[in-house]
Amino acid sequence: MAEFAGHCPGLARDEIGWRIVRHAAWGETVEVALPELSEAQAAALCGQIRERARTALRRMAVARIVEAIDGATARLLDRSHPVRRKAEALLPVVTGYDRETVRLGLTGFLKTFRRPQLLRFLAEDFSDPGLLDGFRPAPKGGLVRAQGPDLLLHVWAGNVPALSLWSLVCGLLVKAGTVGKLASAEPLTAGWFAGLIAEQDPELGECLAAVWWKGGEGASEKVFLREADTVLAYGDDATLAALREKLPIGTRFLSHGHRIGFGVIAREALDRRRAPALARLAAQDVARYEQQGCYSPQMLFVERGGLVAPAEFARYLAHDLAALAARHPRRPLSPGEAAGVAAWRQAQELRDTADLLGEPADPWGVVVLDGDDTLRPSGLNRTVAVVAVDDLDAVPARVAPHRAFLQTAGVAASPERLLRLADGLAAVGVSRITAIGAMTRPEAGWHHDGRFSLLDLVTLTEIEAGAEAAAEGFAPYAD
Amino acid sequence: MRFSDRVILVTGASRGIGAAIATAFAAEGGLVIVNFRENAAAAEAVVAACRARGGAALAIAADVTSPEAVAEMARRIGEEAGRLDAVVNNAFAPYRFDPDNRVRFAETPWSAYQTQFDGAVRAAYTVVQATLPLLRGGASIVNLASDLVSRPSIPYHDYTTAKAALVGFSRNLAAELGPLGVRVNCVAPGLVEGTQGSRFTGEAVRETLVAQTPLRRLATPEDVAGPVLFLAGDDSRFVTGQVLHVDGGLVMG
Repeated sequence: MAEFAGHCPGLARDEIGWRIVRHAAWGETVEVALPELSEAQAAALCGQIRERARTALRRMAVARIVEAIDGATARLLDRSHPVRRKAEALLPVVTGYDRETVRLGLTGFLKTFRRPQLLRFLAEDFSDPGLLDGFRPAPKGGLVRAQGPDLLLHVWAGNVPALSLWSLVCGLLVKAGTVGKLASAEPLTAGWFAGLIAEQDPELGECLAAVWWKGGEGASEKVFLREADTVLAYGDDATLAALREKLPIGTRFLSHGHRIGFGVIAREALDRRRAPALARLAAQDVARYEQQGCYSPQMLFVERGGLVAPAEFARYLAHDLAALAARHPRRPLSPGEAAGVAAWRQAQELRDTADLLGEPADPWGVVVLDGDDTLRPSGLNRTVAVVAVDDLDAVPARVAPHRAFLQTAGVAASPERLLRLADGLAAVGVSRITAIGAMTRPEAGWHHDGRFSLLDLVTLTEIEAGAEAAAEGFAPYAD
Repeated sequence: MRFSDRVILVTGASRGIGAAIATAFAAEGGLVIVNFRENAAAAEAVVAACRARGGAALAIAADVTSPEAVAEMARRIGEEAGRLDAVVNNAFAPYRFDPDNRVRFAETPWSAYQTQFDGAVRAAYTVVQATLPLLRGGASIVNLASDLVSRPSIPYHDYTTAKAALVGFSRNLAAELGPLGVRVNCVAPGLVEGTQGSRFTGEAVRETLVAQTPLRRLATPEDVAGPVLFLAGDDSRFVTGQVLHVDGGLVMG
């Protein structure tokens, strides 16, 4: 019995063409039915969502939308709720991540979508979130309001379970009529969440849809790309470039491409007590989601001069990765991924200044580099390089060559040095500096790739002070 | 073959328990470093026995209480093998286990304690210090203690106190090296037949010990080798800081 993915308001199940995809992992198989709409259905759906957004969604107070999202999140956080139980049962098989990683990841992630966190999202981007409900006084004079697009198309990636919820929630908060393209690698959570939203608030549920088509060839693709006012897409460079090429010139295109994360560990954090604890946290950052997230570390710069030398830190890290593999087994690798890991190992073995820890059969790999290495991608899937540096000040220059791909840096350093390093990292394009151990868990309201999650989606309509003043002249009470 | 492609150092391996341990590793495919102090001919015989069992072996002379000699041995191991997967600290200062003529506490000079501390703790200290850089995650250290620590059937003050210190040494090392993936355990045999030290233990005492031992006999060097291999290999991968008694159940717990 297949699990039906997506959310298509107004369309009965037997009206839709379903594409059945089999997923297998951990000795189980799951069949997922993906909703593939015809051109006509796609056009009708876009029209309907756009119309509902204009009429119903725009009139809803943001507070009501927050309530609905909060309610849906509460259900997904409740481990006894049928949808949560389904998520815990199916996502490990569909994504390949182990059950514990999925369970802990879901809870950690969903916690950022409760009411207080949603209000924080709003407060991060809008000094007055009332702007989304109506015209509000502007500091410079006049009035201003913010509006999301009538039709916002999300193109989701499935590298991390439930990742789609970030952009889905952002779109709803700015009252955008929403159509999402499910990710083939994780096509389930977005549909479940949409269903729960519809259960909380049926009217809101009619303002969003989650569908699927085969990227680049699905019949409905050109309809969705033509109809969308704004496209928010996740994926690799090739996917994003292909997508952008197909969009009408007036469509706003927001993209989040591949990124490379790294960690920085200062000598003051490398004493006998702190170093092993930090290694453990770093190992968690490396192991979570097999470094598939944009925020995952692929290299750790470790400063010399602490009580624990970089090479010893690497040995702690190696043992922690080995220990973590017992609790969170590595996802079964595809042939391509296995080749990536093998190629990475081989490249390290060929270098004189490299010390490779772990055997080829181990589900992890750590290499200690003693040269003047710059940031480089690892083989992913729990492979990481520890680079010894004489001083933290050297790090910004070491990562600068990858400027276009920088995003998250995990840092362990004293406050003064953290700020000094942050200046250097900001200058070369790092947009998020976080603690070691929190790299894969961005906080509520973070600015993905350094951009405004909500503000980027809206357009402002201003009533200039002059217009307001002129209107006074036409008032029935005008003198 | 549990120890194929593994490199194991056994100190004091030219005779007795050490020789039995060395040949047992060789029989499981290991490359055994047969450390000895003086008796090169005996060590070469152990090497030959190792090869006959299908393993590889190399005899290296070194007094385990001499940092220079041990450093030189570690250098050679690094050169020949590049790493160590297990270190068995078996060598100890010569001791005469003679219940009838044992020295009582009042007559035991501090120098006797010192000699035993040097033979047990200082030897293990010196060997682990020198070989630590060769030990990778997954490696194991096994130190030979004694069941006398838990049950001083005969109060050999100096010997047993030193072995007790070796147990403490091992547990501290286990706590520190655990996060690096290196395990440290002890094997604590009871009286072992057919060794140099035990030949002065008379029949009466042997019979008494046997009578109190649930398995009704004394240990042989081969009895000790099995538990050492267990603690050195992957079967005990989640065991560290432990003392495994090998005395037929004389000591329990």
